[in-house]
Amino acid sequence: MSHQMPQGPNCLDLWREKNDQLVRQAKVAQDSSLSLRRQQLAQDALEGLRELLHSLQGLPAAVPALPLELTVTCNFIILKTSVAQGFTEDQAQAIQRGLERVLETQEQLGPRLERGLGELWDSVLHVSSLLPELLPALHCLAGLQAALWLSTDHLRYLALLLQSLNGSQSGSSEDLLLHLKTWSPPAEESDAPLILQDAQGLRDVLLTAFPYRQGLQELIIGNLPKALSSLHEVASGLCPRPVLVQVYTALGTCLRKMGNPQRALVYLLEALKGGSALGPPLLEASRLYQQLGDTAAELESLELLVEVKNCQALSVTQSSEAPQLLIEVELLLPQSDPASPLHCGTQSQAKHLLASRCLQTGRAEDAAEHYLDLLALLLDGSEPRFSPPPSPPGPCMPEVFLEAAAALIQAGRAQDALTVCEELLSRTSSLLPKMSQLWKDARKGTKDLPHCPLWVSATHLLQGQAWVQLGSQKEAVSEFSWCLELLFRATPKDKEQGAPSNCEQGCKSDVTLQQLRAAALISRGLEWVARGQDTKALQDFLLSVQMCPGNRDASIHLLQTLRRLDRRDEATAFWWRLEAQTKLPQKDATWSLPLYLETCLSWIRPSDHETCLEEFRTSVLEPRDL
Amino acid sequence: PLGGLASGKPRVLCHEAEAFLSTGSELVYVYDLEGGLLTAAYRFPGQVWHLELLAPRRALYVLCAGKGIYCLSLDHLSRSTSQDDGDSEDGELPSSVVPVGPDACVLPDASLCAFTVLDGTLVTLAQGPTQWKIQLFERPCPGEDPQPGGQIGEVELSTYTPPAGVPGKPADPCFLPVLCCVSPPASRVPHGHLWGSGSFTLKEALFGLLFGADATLLESPVILCGLPDGQLCSVVLKALVTSRSAPGDPKALVKILHHLEEPVIFIGALRTEPQAEEAAEEMPPGEDVHSDCLVALGHYGRTLAIKASWDKAGNLVPELREYCLPGPVLCAACGGGGRVYHSTPSDLCMVDLARGSTPSDPTQPEEGPGGLPPLLCPASLSACSVVTLSVSSRAPEGDTELLALSAKGRLMTFSLDLNSEVPGLSAVSRADTGQKIKELLSGIGNVSERVSFLKKAVDQRNKALTSLNEAMNVSCALLSSREGPRPISCTTTAAWSRLQMQDVLTATCLLENRSAFHLGQGWTLCVQVLTSCSALDLDSAGAATTYTIPVDQLGPGGQREVTLPLGPGENGSFDLPVTVSCTLFYSLREVVGRALAPSDSFEEPFLDEEPPDVLPEQEGICLPLSRHTVDLLQSLRFPGLAPPCTQAPPLRGPADPVDTFLEARREPGSHPSGPASLRAAYLPPSVACIKVSAELLRAALEDSRLPLCCATLRWLLAENAAADVVRARALSSVQGVAPDGADVHLIVREVAVTDLCLAGPIQVVEIQVESSSLADVCRAHHAVIGRMQTMVTQQAAQGSSPPDLRVQYLRQIHANHEALLREVQALRDRLCVEDEASSCATAQRLLQVYKQLRNPSLVLL
Repeated sequence: MSHQMPQGPNCLDLWREKNDQLVRQAKVAQDSSLSLRRQQLAQDALEGLRELLHSLQGLPAAVPALPLELTVTCNFIILKTSVAQGFTEDQAQAIQRGLERVLETQEQLGPRLERGLGELWDSVLHVSSLLPELLPALHCLAGLQAALWLSTDHLRYLALLLQSLNGSQSGSSEDLLLHLKTWSPPAEESDAPLILQDAQGLRDVLLTAFPYRQGLQELIIGNLPKALSSLHEVASGLCPRPVLVQVYTALGTCLRKMGNPQRALVYLLEALKGGSALGPPLLEASRLYQQLGDTAAELESLELLVEVKNCQALSVTQSSEAPQLLIEVELLLPQSDPASPLHCGTQSQAKHLLASRCLQTGRAEDAAEHYLDLLALLLDGSEPRFSPPPSPPGPCMPEVFLEAAAALIQAGRAQDALTVCEELLSRTSSLLPKMSQLWKDARKGTKDLPHCPLWVSATHLLQGQAWVQLGSQKEAVSEFSWCLELLFRATPKDKEQGAPSNCEQGCKSDVTLQQLRAAALISRGLEWVARGQDTKALQDFLLSVQMCPGNRDASIHLLQTLRRLDRRDEATAFWWRLEAQTKLPQKDATWSLPLYLETCLSWIRPSDHETCLEEFRTSVLEPRDL
Repeated sequence: PLGGLASGKPRVLCHEAEAFLSTGSELVYVYDLEGGLLTAAYRFPGQVWHLELLAPRRALYVLCAGKGIYCLSLDHLSRSTSQDDGDSEDGELPSSVVPVGPDACVLPDASLCAFTVLDGTLVTLAQGPTQWKIQLFERPCPGEDPQPGGQIGEVELSTYTPPAGVPGKPADPCFLPVLCCVSPPASRVPHGHLWGSGSFTLKEALFGLLFGADATLLESPVILCGLPDGQLCSVVLKALVTSRSAPGDPKALVKILHHLEEPVIFIGALRTEPQAEEAAEEMPPGEDVHSDCLVALGHYGRTLAIKASWDKAGNLVPELREYCLPGPVLCAACGGGGRVYHSTPSDLCMVDLARGSTPSDPTQPEEGPGGLPPLLCPASLSACSVVTLSVSSRAPEGDTELLALSAKGRLMTFSLDLNSEVPGLSAVSRADTGQKIKELLSGIGNVSERVSFLKKAVDQRNKALTSLNEAMNVSCALLSSREGPRPISCTTTAAWSRLQMQDVLTATCLLENRSAFHLGQGWTLCVQVLTSCSALDLDSAGAATTYTIPVDQLGPGGQREVTLPLGPGENGSFDLPVTVSCTLFYSLREVVGRALAPSDSFEEPFLDEEPPDVLPEQEGICLPLSRHTVDLLQSLRFPGLAPPCTQAPPLRGPADPVDTFLEARREPGSHPSGPASLRAAYLPPSVACIKVSAELLRAALEDSRLPLCCATLRWLLAENAAADVVRARALSSVQGVAPDGADVHLIVREVAVTDLCLAGPIQVVEIQVESSSLADVCRAHHAVIGRMQTMVTQQAAQGSSPPDLRVQYLRQIHANHEALLREVQALRDRLCVEDEASSCATAQRLLQVYKQLRNPSLVLL
């Protein structure tokens, strides 16, 4: 069967020249240091390739023109994918169109049935054995198809495609990696039209991307041994330096989770030597040190992380490493996931992590400083790019304020804490129920009471604590009373809160509410004790015990107060109850309270907890012995 | 003063005394509002979709469809050299159209659909393959630095169904999404100065209520986005900052505020409360008003208003109300004093959202913000088809000045006095007079535009009514005249003609209007050609082809002729007989639908929609005119009879090149090949025969001058256009050529039948059909019998009485026939189940039986 070239050979040459010129333009764009120019050049080249493809496909498919047409298709797909940073439906259609054109020359397309891409590939590869001149371009297109299927997790299709490419008939082997390794694309001829990335290059990318992707996915779902072997596979192969850094980090995460901290550390150090993208390995290192209990090292890594993030934020304008205009390993990785070891959050998230870890590990001064830095970062409104808030799963913004206040109190800077609390209240005043209304209602005793978000009550609690530290009992008591007033109105079931925030659901949990109430009652009770008004204190402690029957702190305060008031019988009775309780298994010990509340609870914990109980035991048991 | 509008997304913006205008084409115009002059025009490389002005930086940002965002510095603008563009297509363009080159492009991205600009950042909305994507860039500046801002953040919005376009070239979206930026009042950035024209400030309470405590605490601006699918979603800007490796989590970042269920075309904010005293003092004059009500408008008029209010207990609750305004809304704007202006193709309306806010109970003045009005009453501003609106910033206190661009391209300003109590007349100073006259003139222009629009609509409706009336008359005339010639008729004749080297049988339908009415727009002649099913393929129904021909103005006495091909079909075969039925159709949709759709004067794509469903299910009126059957007798040709001089080369039907080739290759002396000749050589011709009583025929034909046989033949071929030769000679037998090329022989002779009638022999005309092609015999037989049937029915109506018959004999014939029919049935059944060898014998037998059946001894009396 004879195919008539629709245009003279010079036309084909012209198109080919155009293709080569566009590829060169894309390469110039790649090397261009100015990113705007680069983007424009790339977009122009893409538009040129699209037009060229249009003119090529406007004619009936013919074998002599097909290698050029397929090459242009490949160039178009490569450029489009790298400009759009991902595969889209467009690219799949371009591949399909290319395959159909190949079949058209063989008149095997038949009626335009809806054929799957897989079947198309089958028929095309079958046909291509008759047309060896098409093979280089077809292999390149196959490489792109493989990349596309990898990025969409169509691994079964991918395996079948590779099998047919390798010519192996046995459908038994499911080992994709093996197929990839045995795939040897034919070498490009020297006079072939230029291509942005040849089949060999695509194969190398796939060889890295496939096990890496597998490893990350397994790691995220927790299938650690599989993840480890996949990641080892990547690390042992040839892969670009930045990818290697990521792989080492992932290996570190994997080994840490498998309980091999020392080996994990080795990989992390290796990753840090890589020099680029220091964030993830540093974050991972901090987790590792936390697991090892090495607080100093942990905090040091976090500090370094914060520093790295600062530098990155400053250099965001320079957008250091522009992505290559090629299919790269990064394009084929799964969507970024917070659970991924490569996720290290934003600058402020790093800062918050550092600050909260400092607070948790008892370095109150550092914590206070870091919290103040963080707040300054977040609230300095002029430059939005430097100040993203910690996004969930972290605490919401009001909680960050509360944590800062708690850290300041802990560090003995009560006055600063008060300022932070006032700032929080003033900034959100518009969201709060009208206070005048509140007072009026309170006086009237109306049933219909307004609701406040929990963090408002918590702010008053912390303000009270700050006043306690400043020695101003009157203010402290009034703040605690305010706090309790608000808390007893809040019912956790109330979903229709005024200001919904993405994390208020979390703040509103029953346990938090109970603990807050207990904390406020105990705090006020302690103030009564300090003023010598033991009866009032007793009332508060009693209430707090009723509120939170499992709260040992409340119970001990109650016991001590009863003893001070010399109400021995009641004290004994209560002690017995307490004893019985302690024998019961501790339940609900796993809940995690907000950090500010934990900190606050630590302040009102009776200092000599055990000795006090011991003392009491002897004193209670003595009279019985008599 | 501009040319017509291109179908696009016109925008108008104004800043101080300048107005920036895009009509949806590639051009952006700059007007000096005070002088009423066009100061500059810029030509962009693509359709302009959106304009935004960053006033403090004196920069104009322009989104070009499929190209990206361009930035022009207004300072350059003033000293732009007048470059002659040469090809000013829009007639009235100023001589200086400055082309904007790629140097001004600050963000090349073909998929951008909308953007808004803030001082430090540029927020864009791009159309991804399956999702909308909000991206945040550092604001690029014109000229200073060719570096584009780095991308700071990105988040994907909800999925959408991509418009079905050519792969690789997404179709132009009908509706563009709307983006705007909302900032909290406390923001330390002096907003109103550093924000672009697409942003506004909300009061704290509403802001916090809508966007949450985090956004309030951070004092972060919020991006509001209205999508064409009706979603209204918000993204806290400060939370959007993400790294490239980790795009934001949409669930955490994007909050859907509402779903309007129709394309969102406008988002705005306004102040419904009268400014409180103390607040007014606090606010420096010229500062942005903090709006307390967020408004979103959908294309079909659904309007959402959200306010913050406090419930009885003092809780902050959102007050959310949906209204329905007359749509389709072309554009909208928010003005001072709680007014929303929106434009439909027929009017520019104003609604007042503040009206409900007057405290109903004066005893509770500190109740807080009043509610939204339960109903909105649009007040007309008497201007139609305004396609884009903008509230001017230079209006004096208390007034609103609207800048509007009409569909015809007129730029108008409306000055609205908000305090309607102000006495209408005041002393007009001399300086004002000129201004007054100007206003009056512009008012006249305004009114004339509206009048022309309304007039057009009325004309259209009148035309539709006239047309409907005519249609009624025509229908009545056609349906009521059962007897006599119909006022509108359609006659069909068949003839051979030569087209493109091929003989084609054509049917000519002649539509004649003998009524007093006019067939005008909306009428269509539908001709349905229904072929009989092929004898070989019993299961298939005949194929029907319908031709529709618009009857474009057919006055009384007018005629229209339509010629349609009947055959040969694709495979060269003729499926005779063919039934041609003609019908008149009146399309209600075409005539009435156009008049009911109010918006057909706009060429904008989104207005070319189906008219609302006011039309009944039935789309038109259908009036059958005639039905005509073209059979073999009408399509016979008589090459043998034609005069030799005019005779064309032997017509053997359409000449098949392969046959010609084979013929040429045939060796001399060999037998003629080809199925027809073979059949002619070896098979006796098939014969069918019909006998009719001569008396009956004579009575029917009423032509005694000719011998009966000749008259009969003439009668049979009466409708054949080629039969003039037959008519010319008094023939009693004729040899014709069937459409498929086989010879057909018609022989008419008088015979006497003796044994049928008691009274003696009766004279009978015998019509014999002979052909080598069995199919043609059948067709001819069928055609003759058809004619006989009509004749007999007519004669029977006239009441002629048959002579006495020998009943016994008739019975016998009848019995014979029944036996034969039964045999046919049996044979056909056998044919279905038998194998090839025996089926051949069965087929033979079947043929014989058919032959006997076709030669009955019965006579039509």
